[in-house]
Amino acid sequence: MNAPVTLPKPPGAANKLKSTRMAGKLVNDYWEMVWRAKEEGKLVCWYEGSSINPFLEAADIVWVHGEAYSAMLAARHQEGPAQAAAEERGYLRELCSYARTHLGCAVNNQRHRNGSDSAFADVPADEDISAKLPPPDMIISAYAYCSTGQQWDEMTSRLFGKKIPIFNVSIPWIWASGKDAGYCRGQEWEETSRYVARQLEEMVKFIEEQTGKPYPWDRLRELMGNVKKASELRLEAMDMCRAKPAPATLFDWSVSIAPINQLPCTTDIVDYFTNVRNEVAERVRTGEAAVPKEKYRLFFDGIMNWNKLGWLAEKFARYDAAVVAGRYTHMAFWQEPDLIDPNNPVMGMGQNYLICPNNHSSPILIDLIMGLCEKYEVDGIVFHATRTCRAFTNPMFMIAQEATSRLGIQTTMFEGDVADETFYKDELLNTRVEAMLEAIDQKRLSAF
Amino acid sequence: MGYARAWKARTGRRVIGSFPMNFPSEMAHAAGALPLIIQEAEDPITAGHGLLFPFYCGFTRSAVDQAAKGDLAVLDAIMFGDHCVQLLGAADAVRVALPDTRVIFFQLISSMCDPWTLGRSKESFEKLRFELEDFIGEPVRDDAMRASIALFNRGRQAMRELYRMRVEGRVALTAREMQYVVKSSMVMDRAEHLELVEALVASASENLPQPEKRAVRLHLSGHFCQAPKPELLDMIEGCGAIVVGDDLYHGYRYISTDVGEEGNPMDSLARWYLDRNTGVPCPTRVQNDVDWDAFLLDAMRKESAEGMIVLMAKFCEPHMYYYPEVKEAFEKAGMPHLLIETEHESMALEHMRTRVESFLELIKRRRGVARANTPEGEVA
Amino acid sequence: MKKHVMGIDFGSTTAKAVIVDMRGRIIAWSVSHMGAVSDAAVHEAVADVLTQANLKQEDMGRCVSTGYGRRMLDIADKNFTEITCHARGAVAMVPEARLVIDIGGQDSKTIAVDTNGLVAQFAMNDRCAAGTGKFLEVLARAMEIELEEMGDIAMKAQEELKISSMCATFAETEVISLRAEGHSKENVLGAVHQSIATRTLGLVNRVGKKGPAVMTGGVARNKAAVHYIEKVLGIPLILPETPQIAGALGAALIGLDDYKAELAESGQTIEEDCEVDAQMAFDKACVTGCKGDPVEAEKNAPAVTGKLKSMMSNLQKYF
Repeated sequence: MNAPVTLPKPPGAANKLKSTRMAGKLVNDYWEMVWRAKEEGKLVCWYEGSSINPFLEAADIVWVHGEAYSAMLAARHQEGPAQAAAEERGYLRELCSYARTHLGCAVNNQRHRNGSDSAFADVPADEDISAKLPPPDMIISAYAYCSTGQQWDEMTSRLFGKKIPIFNVSIPWIWASGKDAGYCRGQEWEETSRYVARQLEEMVKFIEEQTGKPYPWDRLRELMGNVKKASELRLEAMDMCRAKPAPATLFDWSVSIAPINQLPCTTDIVDYFTNVRNEVAERVRTGEAAVPKEKYRLFFDGIMNWNKLGWLAEKFARYDAAVVAGRYTHMAFWQEPDLIDPNNPVMGMGQNYLICPNNHSSPILIDLIMGLCEKYEVDGIVFHATRTCRAFTNPMFMIAQEATSRLGIQTTMFEGDVADETFYKDELLNTRVEAMLEAIDQKRLSAF
Repeated sequence: MGYARAWKARTGRRVIGSFPMNFPSEMAHAAGALPLIIQEAEDPITAGHGLLFPFYCGFTRSAVDQAAKGDLAVLDAIMFGDHCVQLLGAADAVRVALPDTRVIFFQLISSMCDPWTLGRSKESFEKLRFELEDFIGEPVRDDAMRASIALFNRGRQAMRELYRMRVEGRVALTAREMQYVVKSSMVMDRAEHLELVEALVASASENLPQPEKRAVRLHLSGHFCQAPKPELLDMIEGCGAIVVGDDLYHGYRYISTDVGEEGNPMDSLARWYLDRNTGVPCPTRVQNDVDWDAFLLDAMRKESAEGMIVLMAKFCEPHMYYYPEVKEAFEKAGMPHLLIETEHESMALEHMRTRVESFLELIKRRRGVARANTPEGEVA
Repeated sequence: MKKHVMGIDFGSTTAKAVIVDMRGRIIAWSVSHMGAVSDAAVHEAVADVLTQANLKQEDMGRCVSTGYGRRMLDIADKNFTEITCHARGAVAMVPEARLVIDIGGQDSKTIAVDTNGLVAQFAMNDRCAAGTGKFLEVLARAMEIELEEMGDIAMKAQEELKISSMCATFAETEVISLRAEGHSKENVLGAVHQSIATRTLGLVNRVGKKGPAVMTGGVARNKAAVHYIEKVLGIPLILPETPQIAGALGAALIGLDDYKAELAESGQTIEEDCEVDAQMAFDKACVTGCKGDPVEAEKNAPAVTGKLKSMMSNLQKYF
């Protein structure tokens, strides 16, 4: 961002967790591993959406999660070259910016290998990490809810001349019309779980075909044991944010997504979340707050704006607003570890894919969110209306409606995007959030 | 909706709405209902913007808007099986907006060349049928289904005959008129519609008009859910073109494939679902072994089309994804094409006219060059 | 035989007229400024160019119009879009050109031209002000600078600022905030021109970036715009001497082609099915197939069309 010239830069208002700094290092190590994959003769699998990485890691395949790569680029403000390459190829800007960024990396990759007269055919500068992403040896598509995800993988396959084996796991949306339907229960849930589990088993056979080796189930069980523990620790730490003032915020949980979602499932992630849980517990004990003068507690609905993560953290802290929970962080990323049977993990893994934050239709989704709002005693909900992520924005108006009618809390919306910063509108956010906080104040006054 | 209301009053039977693209209307018909595919309305979106954001395709916003305004009140139930994320959002919103209307959904598999695709599709249709039967309170019999399938097949065949006649120059139907033919089949009683279409085909065969030979022959592609605005079609042809073929939903996509009339109708429907995508590939599905871009180039050849106008509904992600492949393939093949992004809200037709005219000028000049380069070429 | 041909570009903010001789050389040209699309300015440009050339309208063998108002000119025999004409004119001015970038007051367009000098592909941005002259105009007002000075001031930028919004309205807000934060006019204008360059690159990518590239249109006279666009494209931009008349010149040259063709097949009457005449009338036609005689067109409509139309109206009432 452009640094202001005349105003002095105030000290950071957000009191971020220190243990999350480790995430940065772990993430860097992981990407270095990815960038070395070809040198080390490893197979590379591209996938997005569902966290199938343990399946791949167990088989010693290097995994690249498309969204994670795009998020990383956006967070480092290096998404430009990839997005430009995608635009040059003809991908319009209204397309999911995760996909556009990732496809742009693929385009860059192809160009450098095949040579062309495009603007991007020169040898990439070292800073252009979009070009460092190794091309895939296989593509596995396992995307819940968002049709875009599956199409993205298909187009990636075509970008690479359809020379790369691709496998599709279809993950249905839980419509929940049956009378017995509910969150993780009902006939539809049972049948759908079995359907997904069967496909995951086929997927394992596909992996065996690619590696030419029998699938190492023991290794998967071991990794999932770690995932389960890490997840439990993470949930425990998040739960502690019911405390007032909250010891950590959504932004701390956002930087902790990589460890739970894409890093190698070694004991490193258990250590990471142990440290996080301990630091949070300590803060609760001493009453240390993530937002020093916490006056408001907010729920953040929508996917994260990766270009603006730090910016948003500061902004809310300056408003004395602690963003204590969010759909993206609290209703995702192995959030039901109890479903996982470490000895027989496939079903539990499939079910965790099915409960991705958008994969339940609104009646169930809304119930879950209202539950979280009550649990964390929030005063208001801020909705991130992401221009190119319609999967997340689909139920927003209905959630807002319920929040007002059922819980009587304030809501507001701001415009932005996942990875394309040109869609972010700062003015709108300022005005609307301020208005919402004022409304909360009014309500409190009138309660006397 | 006016027709549906009148029909309902006349027959006292149910009207079952559906979303595009793949809900088998034959099933609703066999249940004795009038199947009606919800259309994009012309109204600007008002109430709908309280349920969906403006950056959604025109169809979903319009559907939600109609629901919120009570315009879908004639529907006794809504059934669908599709998976496009915007459609799912719209369906969810519609269910909330119409708490007294039953919305029946079972997601069709969208990955078309997996070993379990056929089986899962059949399961989906069975589930839909089961819920439909639950809704109407009685079974939908196999022979009723086969009869409906046969009727629908005849309708599709008649419309395909019109398409054949148009591309061969044996009938002068404007793009708007062809749209009316297909669109009306989506909302009318099929038997009534069939009569009208068969009469059209017969009367057209009597007299052979000479469509303007100098008009540029075009193929129209895109719009997988909503009908392109008739004014747009008129404008395109008005610039000196004739639409000789299309792969629009309100066009060839809807009528391309028949359903098997023998045996278990659920098997036939599942088979139809797969065959349809192989026949006219849709970017809303993923099927690695079928190429939409190759299909389009082939269609151009079969239709002797000189250019393609791609009508892309703004915010339609499936189209945005596949378009670069099509663009590349057409550029490689030296086949001219033009991209027009359309919107639900009123479009600047004048600006679009400039683009279409430039496109046609480009094609005509190529004709000139081609003529000049052939041995029998005239002075250019 | 008449020895001159006229091209008229009836644009949205200016009208241009060009007269060429039978060899395609420019004899005279004129530019007339105005508000919205207006008759008076066109007539002024036409009158001026005729005066310069010491000719009368009747001396023109052909008159071709282009631009937004191209269909409104009675004196024009034919009209073509500004894309076709701009490409033609730009290639006439710079024969080796393969890419034409035209940024005008209201719209911007990029045209890829093939080795025959014909339009291969084109892309236009005509609904959004961002990236066009309009954007600069609005900002000039907001920053209280003369439009003509903007380029020079922008060239003095020392620091690279960023305007991230793609939307002109929001970009304007960003500009105002930047100024309020204390950033200099020079730096802010630098960012503005960078933003225009980014938009232009997007438009270029849609038609394929292949040099040599020519820039035409009013914004070509803005040094900073040229500089930033060149930087972002990575190829040099060729600026013809009189970029604003590219459209009118192209129109004149297209007219010249047709006039020459007509002369080569002289002696043809309109009733005969003559390729060139029919093509001409066809091109100008408001109704497909009309050869210029409405009564004829009606008479020749096949009988079955009537029947079809009544069938159609039967179905039509459902909509």
